[in-house]
Amino acid sequence: MLSVALSASASEIHAPAQITAGNAITIQTSGSGDATFYLIGPAIASKSKVQAGSNIPVDSDQLEHAGRYVAVLCASDGCTATNFSVNPAAANRLSFLVHPSRIPVGSAQGISAVAIVRDSFQNLVPKPEAVTFSVMAKDEKPVSAARTSESAVAWVRLTSAKKEGPTKLGASIGHADEIRVVQQVAADACNLRIKASRDKRGFLIETDPVHDCSGNPVPDGTVVSFTESDDVGKTTVDVPIKRGVAKVEMPIAGRAKITVASGVVTGNELEVAGGQ
Amino acid sequence: MKATALRYGSLLLLFATAFMGVVAYHLRASADDDFPRVQLNADDVSPRPIEDLTAKSVPRDYALAWQTLAQALSSNKTGLLDGYFTGLAKQDFTQRINSQIKSGLQTRYTDRGHKLEAVFYSPAGDVMELRDNAQFDMQVLDGGKLIYEEPVNAQFMVLMTPGADRWLVRQLQATNREKP
Repeated sequence: MLSVALSASASEIHAPAQITAGNAITIQTSGSGDATFYLIGPAIASKSKVQAGSNIPVDSDQLEHAGRYVAVLCASDGCTATNFSVNPAAANRLSFLVHPSRIPVGSAQGISAVAIVRDSFQNLVPKPEAVTFSVMAKDEKPVSAARTSESAVAWVRLTSAKKEGPTKLGASIGHADEIRVVQQVAADACNLRIKASRDKRGFLIETDPVHDCSGNPVPDGTVVSFTESDDVGKTTVDVPIKRGVAKVEMPIAGRAKITVASGVVTGNELEVAGGQ
Repeated sequence: MKATALRYGSLLLLFATAFMGVVAYHLRASADDDFPRVQLNADDVSPRPIEDLTAKSVPRDYALAWQTLAQALSSNKTGLLDGYFTGLAKQDFTQRINSQIKSGLQTRYTDRGHKLEAVFYSPAGDVMELRDNAQFDMQVLDGGKLIYEEPVNAQFMVLMTPGADRWLVRQLQATNREKP
Protein backbone atom coordinates (compact mmCIF):
# COMPACT_ATOMS: atom_id res chain seq x y z
CA MET A 1 0.00 0.00 0.00
CA LEU A 2 1.30 3.37 -0.93
CA SER A 3 0.31 6.86 0.00
CA VAL A 4 1.65 10.27 -0.82
CA ALA A 5 1.58 13.54 1.02
CA LEU A 6 -1.12 15.04 -1.11
CA SER A 7 -3.60 12.40 -2.05
CA ALA A 8 -5.96 14.35 -4.30
CA SER A 9 -4.04 14.22 -7.55
CA ALA A 10 -4.79 14.25 -11.23
CA SER A 11 -1.24 13.30 -12.30
CA GLU A 12 -0.24 9.67 -12.46
CA ILE A 13 3.07 7.89 -12.65
CA HIS A 14 3.85 4.36 -13.88
CA ALA A 15 7.11 2.39 -13.81
CA PRO A 16 7.82 -1.08 -15.17
CA ALA A 17 7.11 -3.68 -12.49
CA GLN A 18 10.33 -5.68 -12.96
CA ILE A 19 13.64 -4.11 -13.87
CA THR A 20 17.07 -5.66 -14.21
CA ALA A 21 19.98 -3.76 -12.70
CA GLY A 22 21.89 -1.60 -15.13
CA ASN A 23 19.05 -1.19 -17.63
CA ALA A 24 17.58 2.18 -18.54
CA ILE A 25 13.82 2.60 -18.20
CA THR A 26 11.15 5.11 -19.03
CA ILE A 27 8.65 6.21 -16.41
CA GLN A 28 5.33 7.26 -17.82
CA THR A 29 3.44 10.18 -16.31
CA SER A 30 0.11 11.80 -16.96
CA GLY A 31 -1.17 15.30 -16.25
CA SER A 32 0.22 18.57 -17.48
CA GLY A 33 2.36 21.50 -16.48
CA ASP A 34 5.65 21.88 -14.62
CA ALA A 35 6.43 19.11 -12.18
CA THR A 36 9.26 17.75 -10.06
CA PHE A 37 10.40 14.18 -10.43
CA TYR A 38 12.12 12.37 -7.58
CA LEU A 39 13.87 9.01 -7.74
CA ILE A 40 14.83 7.41 -4.44
CA GLY A 41 16.76 4.16 -4.36
CA PRO A 42 19.41 2.32 -2.35
CA ALA A 43 22.20 4.69 -3.41
CA ILE A 44 20.33 7.54 -5.06
CA ALA A 45 17.97 10.39 -4.16
CA SER A 46 17.66 12.60 -7.24
CA LYS A 47 15.37 15.49 -8.08
CA SER A 48 14.71 17.00 -11.49
CA LYS A 49 12.32 19.38 -13.23
CA VAL A 50 10.04 17.66 -15.74
CA GLN A 51 6.80 18.21 -17.57
CA ALA A 52 3.88 16.20 -16.21
CA GLY A 53 2.45 14.00 -18.94
CA SER A 54 5.84 13.30 -20.51
CA ASN A 55 7.83 10.10 -20.41
CA ILE A 56 10.74 10.43 -18.00
CA PRO A 57 13.90 8.56 -18.97
CA VAL A 58 15.92 7.05 -16.14
CA ASP A 59 19.52 6.25 -17.12
CA SER A 60 21.01 2.82 -16.62
CA ASP A 61 23.64 4.15 -14.20
CA GLN A 62 20.87 5.31 -11.87
CA LEU A 63 19.54 1.76 -11.64
CA GLU A 64 22.67 -0.28 -10.97
CA HIS A 65 21.84 -1.10 -7.36
CA ALA A 66 19.36 -3.91 -6.83
CA GLY A 67 16.61 -3.12 -4.36
CA ARG A 68 13.57 -1.01 -3.82
CA TYR A 69 13.04 2.29 -5.63
CA VAL A 70 10.40 4.98 -5.28
CA ALA A 71 9.51 7.40 -8.08
CA VAL A 72 7.53 10.51 -7.06
CA LEU A 73 5.99 13.13 -9.32
CA CYS A 74 4.93 16.40 -7.72
CA ALA A 75 2.89 18.76 -9.88
CA SER A 76 0.62 21.69 -9.09
CA ASP A 77 -2.19 19.24 -8.28
CA GLY A 78 -0.14 17.31 -5.72
CA CYS A 79 2.27 14.40 -5.55
CA THR A 80 1.83 10.90 -6.86
CA ALA A 81 4.22 7.97 -6.52
CA THR A 82 5.02 4.44 -7.54
CA ASN A 83 7.56 1.97 -6.30
CA PHE A 84 9.39 -0.75 -8.17
CA SER A 85 12.06 -3.38 -7.69
CA VAL A 86 15.38 -3.54 -9.46
CA ASN A 87 16.56 -7.15 -9.62
CA PRO A 88 20.20 -8.24 -9.85
CA ALA A 89 21.61 -8.81 -13.33
CA ALA A 90 23.21 -12.11 -14.41
CA ALA A 91 25.87 -13.53 -12.10
CA ASN A 92 29.35 -12.80 -13.37
CA ARG A 93 31.43 -11.84 -10.35
CA LEU A 94 32.54 -13.49 -7.15
CA SER A 95 33.79 -12.41 -3.80
CA PHE A 96 36.03 -15.21 -2.63
CA LEU A 97 36.93 -15.61 1.02
CA VAL A 98 39.54 -18.19 1.96
CA HIS A 99 40.58 -18.80 5.52
CA PRO A 100 43.23 -19.22 6.85
CA SER A 101 46.02 -17.89 4.63
CA ARG A 102 48.61 -20.10 6.38
CA ILE A 103 47.89 -23.60 7.54
CA PRO A 104 49.87 -26.60 8.73
CA VAL A 105 50.01 -29.51 6.29
CA GLY A 106 47.49 -32.31 6.72
CA SER A 107 44.88 -30.26 8.60
CA ALA A 108 41.59 -32.10 8.05
CA GLN A 109 38.87 -29.75 6.73
CA GLY A 110 41.10 -26.91 7.86
CA ILE A 111 40.56 -24.58 4.89
CA SER A 112 37.27 -22.80 4.41
CA ALA A 113 36.47 -21.33 0.99
CA VAL A 114 33.33 -19.19 0.59
CA ALA A 115 32.21 -17.68 -2.72
CA ILE A 116 29.62 -14.89 -2.77
CA VAL A 117 27.88 -14.64 -6.12
CA ARG A 118 27.38 -11.16 -7.56
CA ASP A 119 26.44 -9.45 -10.79
CA SER A 120 28.65 -6.89 -12.50
CA PHE A 121 27.29 -4.14 -10.21
CA GLN A 122 28.20 -6.02 -7.02
CA ASN A 123 24.58 -6.93 -6.28
CA LEU A 124 24.04 -10.28 -4.57
CA VAL A 125 22.49 -12.82 -6.93
CA PRO A 126 20.13 -15.04 -4.90
CA LYS A 127 19.21 -17.30 -7.85
CA PRO A 128 21.04 -20.68 -7.60
CA GLU A 129 24.23 -20.64 -9.68
CA ALA A 130 26.92 -23.28 -10.29
CA VAL A 131 30.22 -22.30 -8.71
CA THR A 132 33.35 -24.34 -9.41
CA PHE A 133 36.01 -24.55 -6.73
CA SER A 134 39.48 -25.77 -7.66
CA VAL A 135 42.65 -26.63 -5.81
CA MET A 136 45.98 -26.29 -7.60
CA ALA A 137 48.69 -27.63 -5.32
CA LYS A 138 52.35 -27.45 -6.30
CA ASP A 139 53.45 -30.47 -8.39
CA GLU A 140 50.00 -32.03 -8.15
CA LYS A 141 47.03 -32.35 -10.49
CA PRO A 142 44.36 -29.71 -10.06
CA VAL A 143 41.21 -30.94 -8.34
CA SER A 144 37.85 -29.26 -8.76
CA ALA A 145 34.37 -29.53 -7.28
CA ALA A 146 31.11 -27.84 -8.26
CA ARG A 147 28.68 -26.39 -5.74
CA THR A 148 25.36 -24.67 -6.31
CA SER A 149 24.96 -21.35 -4.56
CA GLU A 150 22.10 -20.82 -2.14
CA SER A 151 21.09 -17.24 -1.39
CA ALA A 152 24.20 -16.06 -3.26
CA VAL A 153 26.62 -18.21 -1.24
CA ALA A 154 28.54 -21.38 -2.14
CA TRP A 155 31.23 -22.88 0.05
CA VAL A 156 33.55 -25.85 0.56
CA ARG A 157 35.92 -27.11 3.22
CA LEU A 158 39.25 -28.58 2.22
CA THR A 159 42.02 -30.57 3.85
CA SER A 160 45.51 -29.13 3.40
CA ALA A 161 48.05 -31.18 1.43
CA LYS A 162 50.84 -33.30 2.90
CA LYS A 163 53.56 -31.21 1.32
CA GLU A 164 54.38 -27.70 2.40
CA GLY A 165 54.34 -24.78 -0.04
CA PRO A 166 51.81 -22.48 -1.67
CA THR A 167 48.53 -23.90 -2.95
CA LYS A 168 46.22 -21.95 -5.21
CA LEU A 169 42.51 -22.10 -4.52
CA GLY A 170 40.14 -20.87 -7.17
CA ALA A 171 36.43 -20.21 -7.50
CA SER A 172 34.79 -19.52 -10.83
CA ILE A 173 31.42 -18.71 -12.28
CA GLY A 174 31.00 -18.25 -16.01
CA HIS A 175 34.03 -16.32 -17.21
CA ALA A 176 34.81 -14.85 -13.81
CA ASP A 177 37.29 -16.49 -11.54
CA GLU A 178 39.09 -15.57 -8.36
CA ILE A 179 42.29 -17.11 -7.05
CA ARG A 180 43.68 -17.08 -3.53
CA VAL A 181 46.91 -18.59 -2.28
CA VAL A 182 47.15 -20.56 0.92
CA GLN A 183 50.61 -21.13 2.30
CA GLN A 184 50.88 -24.62 3.70
CA VAL A 185 53.54 -24.86 6.34
CA ALA A 186 55.06 -27.75 8.28
CA ALA A 187 52.91 -29.04 11.10
CA ASP A 188 54.14 -29.56 14.67
CA ALA A 189 57.52 -31.15 15.16
CA CYS A 190 57.64 -34.94 15.14
CA ASN A 191 60.26 -37.25 16.68
CA LEU A 192 62.05 -34.37 18.34
CA ARG A 193 65.51 -35.56 19.37
CA ILE A 194 68.40 -33.89 21.17
CA LYS A 195 72.05 -34.72 21.68
CA ALA A 196 74.62 -33.24 24.05
CA SER A 197 78.31 -32.54 23.66
CA ARG A 198 80.75 -30.95 26.07
CA ASP A 199 82.05 -27.47 25.42
CA LYS A 200 84.17 -24.98 27.37
CA ARG A 201 81.41 -23.74 29.65
CA GLY A 202 79.30 -26.89 30.08
CA PHE A 203 77.26 -28.68 27.50
CA LEU A 204 76.03 -27.82 24.04
CA ILE A 205 72.56 -29.28 23.62
CA GLU A 206 71.37 -29.51 20.03
CA THR A 207 68.36 -30.96 18.24
CA ASP A 208 68.50 -33.11 15.16
CA PRO A 209 67.01 -31.29 12.15
CA VAL A 210 63.41 -30.65 13.19
CA HIS A 211 60.72 -32.05 10.88
CA ASP A 212 57.00 -32.64 11.06
CA CYS A 213 55.52 -36.12 10.72
CA SER A 214 55.34 -35.74 6.90
CA GLY A 215 59.03 -34.90 6.70
CA ASN A 216 58.61 -31.17 6.08
CA PRO A 217 61.20 -29.04 7.88
CA VAL A 218 59.67 -27.06 10.72
CA PRO A 219 60.23 -23.36 9.87
CA ASP A 220 63.02 -21.33 11.42
CA GLY A 221 61.78 -19.21 14.28
CA THR A 222 59.64 -21.99 15.77
CA VAL A 223 60.47 -22.07 19.47
CA VAL A 224 62.01 -25.14 21.09
CA SER A 225 62.19 -25.29 24.89
CA PHE A 226 65.12 -26.99 26.63
CA THR A 227 64.61 -27.81 30.32
CA GLU A 228 67.42 -28.76 32.69
CA SER A 229 66.45 -30.38 36.03
CA ASP A 230 68.97 -31.01 38.80
CA ASP A 231 69.15 -31.04 42.62
CA VAL A 232 68.91 -27.26 42.75
CA GLY A 233 65.78 -26.98 40.59
CA LYS A 234 64.63 -26.48 37.03
CA THR A 235 65.82 -24.11 34.32
CA THR A 236 64.07 -23.64 30.97
CA VAL A 237 65.56 -21.93 27.95
CA ASP A 238 63.42 -21.10 24.87
CA VAL A 239 65.35 -21.10 21.63
CA PRO A 240 64.12 -20.46 18.09
CA ILE A 241 65.04 -22.92 15.37
CA LYS A 242 67.82 -21.58 13.13
CA ARG A 243 68.76 -23.33 9.91
CA GLY A 244 66.61 -26.29 10.85
CA VAL A 245 68.02 -26.95 14.32
CA ALA A 246 67.79 -25.44 17.79
CA LYS A 247 70.77 -25.37 20.11
CA VAL A 248 71.72 -23.98 23.48
CA GLU A 249 74.74 -23.90 25.77
CA MET A 250 74.01 -24.99 29.34
CA PRO A 251 76.52 -24.69 32.18
CA ILE A 252 75.94 -27.88 34.15
CA ALA A 253 78.01 -28.64 37.29
CA GLY A 254 76.56 -31.90 38.67
CA ARG A 255 74.14 -34.49 37.36
CA ALA A 256 71.16 -33.20 35.41
CA LYS A 257 68.32 -34.30 33.18
CA ILE A 258 67.63 -32.39 29.99
CA THR A 259 64.32 -32.54 28.17
CA VAL A 260 63.10 -30.87 25.02
CA ALA A 261 59.67 -29.74 23.80
CA SER A 262 58.17 -27.71 20.98
CA GLY A 263 54.53 -26.71 21.26
CA VAL A 264 52.67 -29.79 22.47
CA VAL A 265 55.39 -32.16 21.32
CA THR A 266 58.01 -33.53 23.68
CA GLY A 267 61.25 -35.20 22.65
CA ASN A 268 63.80 -37.49 24.20
CA GLU A 269 65.46 -37.04 27.60
CA LEU A 270 69.21 -36.91 28.27
CA GLU A 271 71.12 -37.47 31.49
CA VAL A 272 74.39 -35.59 31.73
CA ALA A 273 76.97 -35.08 34.42
CA GLY A 274 79.03 -31.94 34.50
CA GLY A 275 82.62 -31.69 35.74
CA GLN A 276 83.45 -35.27 34.74
CA MET B 1 1.49 24.48 62.64
CA LYS B 2 4.72 22.49 62.48
CA ALA B 3 2.77 19.21 62.11
CA THR B 4 0.75 20.65 59.21
CA ALA B 5 3.93 21.79 57.43
CA LEU B 6 5.42 18.34 57.93
CA ARG B 7 2.27 16.68 56.53
CA TYR B 8 2.22 18.96 53.43
CA GLY B 9 5.97 18.49 53.02
CA SER B 10 5.56 14.68 53.03
CA LEU B 11 2.72 14.89 50.53
CA LEU B 12 4.79 17.14 48.29
CA LEU B 13 7.70 14.70 48.46
CA LEU B 14 5.35 11.82 47.61
CA PHE B 15 3.95 13.67 44.58
CA ALA B 16 7.44 14.68 43.44
CA THR B 17 8.63 11.06 43.66
CA ALA B 18 5.58 9.82 41.71
CA PHE B 19 6.06 12.57 39.11
CA MET B 20 9.75 11.70 38.66
CA GLY B 21 8.79 8.04 38.29
CA VAL B 22 6.29 8.86 35.54
CA VAL B 23 8.84 11.07 33.75
CA ALA B 24 11.52 8.37 33.97
CA TYR B 25 9.09 5.75 32.65
CA HIS B 26 8.17 7.91 29.67
CA LEU B 27 11.79 8.77 28.90
CA ARG B 28 12.67 5.08 28.88
CA ALA B 29 9.67 4.23 26.74
CA SER B 30 10.69 6.94 24.29
CA ALA B 31 14.26 5.59 24.09
CA ASP B 32 12.89 2.07 23.56
CA ASP B 33 10.64 3.35 20.76
CA ASP B 34 13.71 4.66 18.89
CA PHE B 35 15.60 1.40 19.19
CA PRO B 36 14.59 -1.08 16.47
CA ARG B 37 13.21 -4.39 17.72
CA VAL B 38 15.17 -7.25 16.17
CA GLN B 39 14.33 -10.91 16.67
CA LEU B 40 16.99 -13.35 15.51
CA ASN B 41 16.16 -16.89 14.47
CA ALA B 42 19.30 -18.97 14.02
CA ASP B 43 17.68 -22.43 14.06
CA ASP B 44 18.49 -23.24 10.43
CA VAL B 45 21.85 -21.59 10.07
CA SER B 46 24.66 -23.65 8.56
CA PRO B 47 27.38 -24.83 8.32
CA ARG B 48 28.59 -23.32 11.58
CA PRO B 49 26.29 -22.95 14.57
CA ILE B 50 26.09 -19.49 16.06
CA GLU B 51 27.91 -19.04 19.36
CA ASP B 52 25.86 -17.74 22.32
CA LEU B 53 27.69 -14.43 22.39
CA THR B 54 27.30 -13.98 18.63
CA ALA B 55 23.57 -14.75 18.91
CA LYS B 56 23.32 -11.77 21.26
CA SER B 57 25.63 -9.37 19.47
CA VAL B 58 24.29 -9.84 15.93
CA PRO B 59 20.70 -8.65 16.64
CA ARG B 60 21.98 -5.88 18.92
CA ASP B 61 24.45 -4.59 16.32
CA TYR B 62 21.94 -4.99 13.50
CA ALA B 63 19.43 -2.91 15.47
CA LEU B 64 22.09 -0.28 16.11
CA ALA B 65 22.91 -0.31 12.39
CA TRP B 66 19.28 0.47 11.50
CA GLN B 67 19.07 3.08 14.22
CA THR B 68 22.17 4.88 12.95
CA LEU B 69 21.04 4.47 9.33
CA ALA B 70 17.73 6.17 10.15
CA GLN B 71 19.59 8.98 11.92
CA ALA B 72 22.05 9.35 9.04
CA LEU B 73 19.34 9.49 6.36
CA SER B 74 17.24 11.91 8.40
CA SER B 75 20.08 14.29 9.28
CA ASN B 76 22.12 13.71 6.09
CA LYS B 77 25.25 12.96 8.12
CA THR B 78 27.42 10.30 6.50
CA GLY B 79 29.66 10.07 9.56
CA LEU B 80 26.89 8.27 11.45
CA LEU B 81 27.39 5.28 9.15
CA ASP B 82 30.91 4.69 10.46
CA GLY B 83 29.81 2.81 13.56
CA TYR B 84 27.92 -0.15 12.10
CA PHE B 85 28.44 -0.18 8.33
CA THR B 86 31.36 -1.20 6.17
CA GLY B 87 32.14 -2.15 2.58
CA LEU B 88 29.40 -1.83 -0.02
CA ALA B 89 26.66 -0.98 2.47
CA LYS B 90 28.60 2.01 3.76
CA GLN B 91 29.57 3.03 0.24
CA ASP B 92 25.97 2.86 -1.05
CA PHE B 93 24.38 4.70 1.88
CA THR B 94 27.10 7.36 1.76
CA GLN B 95 26.26 7.82 -1.93
CA ARG B 96 22.56 8.03 -1.04
CA ILE B 97 23.15 10.68 1.63
CA ASN B 98 25.40 12.74 -0.65
CA SER B 99 22.68 12.50 -3.27
CA GLN B 100 20.07 13.61 -0.70
CA ILE B 101 22.22 16.61 0.27
CA LYS B 102 22.57 17.59 -3.39
CA SER B 103 18.81 17.36 -3.94
CA GLY B 104 17.79 18.92 -0.62
CA LEU B 105 16.00 15.74 0.46
CA GLN B 106 15.71 13.84 3.73
CA THR B 107 14.35 10.39 4.48
CA ARG B 108 12.74 9.50 7.77
CA TYR B 109 12.34 5.93 8.92
CA THR B 110 10.11 4.90 11.79
CA ASP B 111 11.13 1.37 12.58
CA ARG B 112 8.43 -1.21 13.29
CA GLY B 113 10.67 -4.22 13.81
CA HIS B 114 12.83 -6.82 12.08
CA LYS B 115 12.52 -10.59 11.93
CA LEU B 116 16.05 -11.67 11.23
CA GLU B 117 16.86 -15.19 10.08
CA ALA B 118 20.46 -16.39 9.91
CA VAL B 119 20.93 -18.51 6.79
CA PHE B 120 24.69 -18.91 6.46
CA TYR B 121 27.57 -18.63 8.91
CA SER B 122 30.90 -19.42 7.33
CA PRO B 123 33.05 -22.22 8.77
CA ALA B 124 35.74 -19.68 9.69
CA GLY B 125 33.20 -17.34 11.32
CA ASP B 126 34.24 -14.46 9.07
CA VAL B 127 30.90 -13.79 7.35
CA MET B 128 27.24 -14.30 8.14
CA GLU B 129 24.32 -14.03 5.75
CA LEU B 130 20.88 -13.19 7.10
CA ARG B 131 17.41 -12.56 5.77
CA ASP B 132 15.47 -9.68 7.30
CA ASN B 133 11.72 -9.22 7.15
CA ALA B 134 11.57 -5.56 8.02
CA GLN B 135 8.66 -3.26 8.70
CA PHE B 136 9.03 0.48 8.82
CA ASP B 137 7.33 3.70 7.82
CA MET B 138 9.19 5.77 5.30
CA GLN B 139 8.79 9.48 4.68
CA VAL B 140 10.62 11.56 2.08
CA LEU B 141 10.89 15.30 2.61
CA ASP B 142 12.00 17.98 0.19
CA GLY B 143 13.19 21.08 2.02
CA GLY B 144 11.26 19.93 5.07
CA LYS B 145 8.03 19.41 3.10
CA LEU B 146 6.62 15.90 3.05
CA ILE B 147 6.38 14.60 -0.52
CA TYR B 148 5.95 10.88 0.09
CA GLU B 149 5.11 8.48 2.88
CA GLU B 150 4.49 4.79 2.93
CA PRO B 151 4.37 1.86 5.33
CA VAL B 152 6.96 -0.62 4.03
CA ASN B 153 7.11 -4.35 4.50
CA ALA B 154 10.35 -5.43 2.83
CA GLN B 155 12.76 -8.32 2.77
CA PHE B 156 16.51 -7.75 2.79
CA MET B 157 19.51 -9.97 2.17
CA VAL B 158 22.14 -8.97 4.70
CA LEU B 159 25.85 -9.72 4.88
CA MET B 160 27.51 -9.06 8.22
CA THR B 161 31.16 -9.43 9.12
CA PRO B 162 32.85 -9.23 12.50
CA GLY B 163 34.76 -6.06 13.37
CA ALA B 164 37.01 -5.42 16.35
CA ASP B 165 34.22 -5.37 18.94
CA ARG B 166 30.98 -5.65 16.95
CA TRP B 167 29.31 -7.09 13.88
CA LEU B 168 29.15 -4.73 10.91
CA VAL B 169 26.63 -4.62 8.08
CA ARG B 170 28.61 -5.15 4.86
CA GLN B 171 25.70 -5.42 2.42
CA LEU B 172 22.00 -4.70 2.74
CA GLN B 173 19.97 -5.47 -0.36
CA ALA B 174 16.20 -5.39 -0.62
CA THR B 175 14.91 -8.40 -2.51
CA ASN B 176 11.84 -8.93 -4.58
CA ARG B 177 9.67 -11.30 -2.54
CA GLU B 178 7.89 -12.72 -5.54
CA LYS B 179 11.08 -13.71 -7.38
CA PRO B 180 13.96 -14.07 -4.91
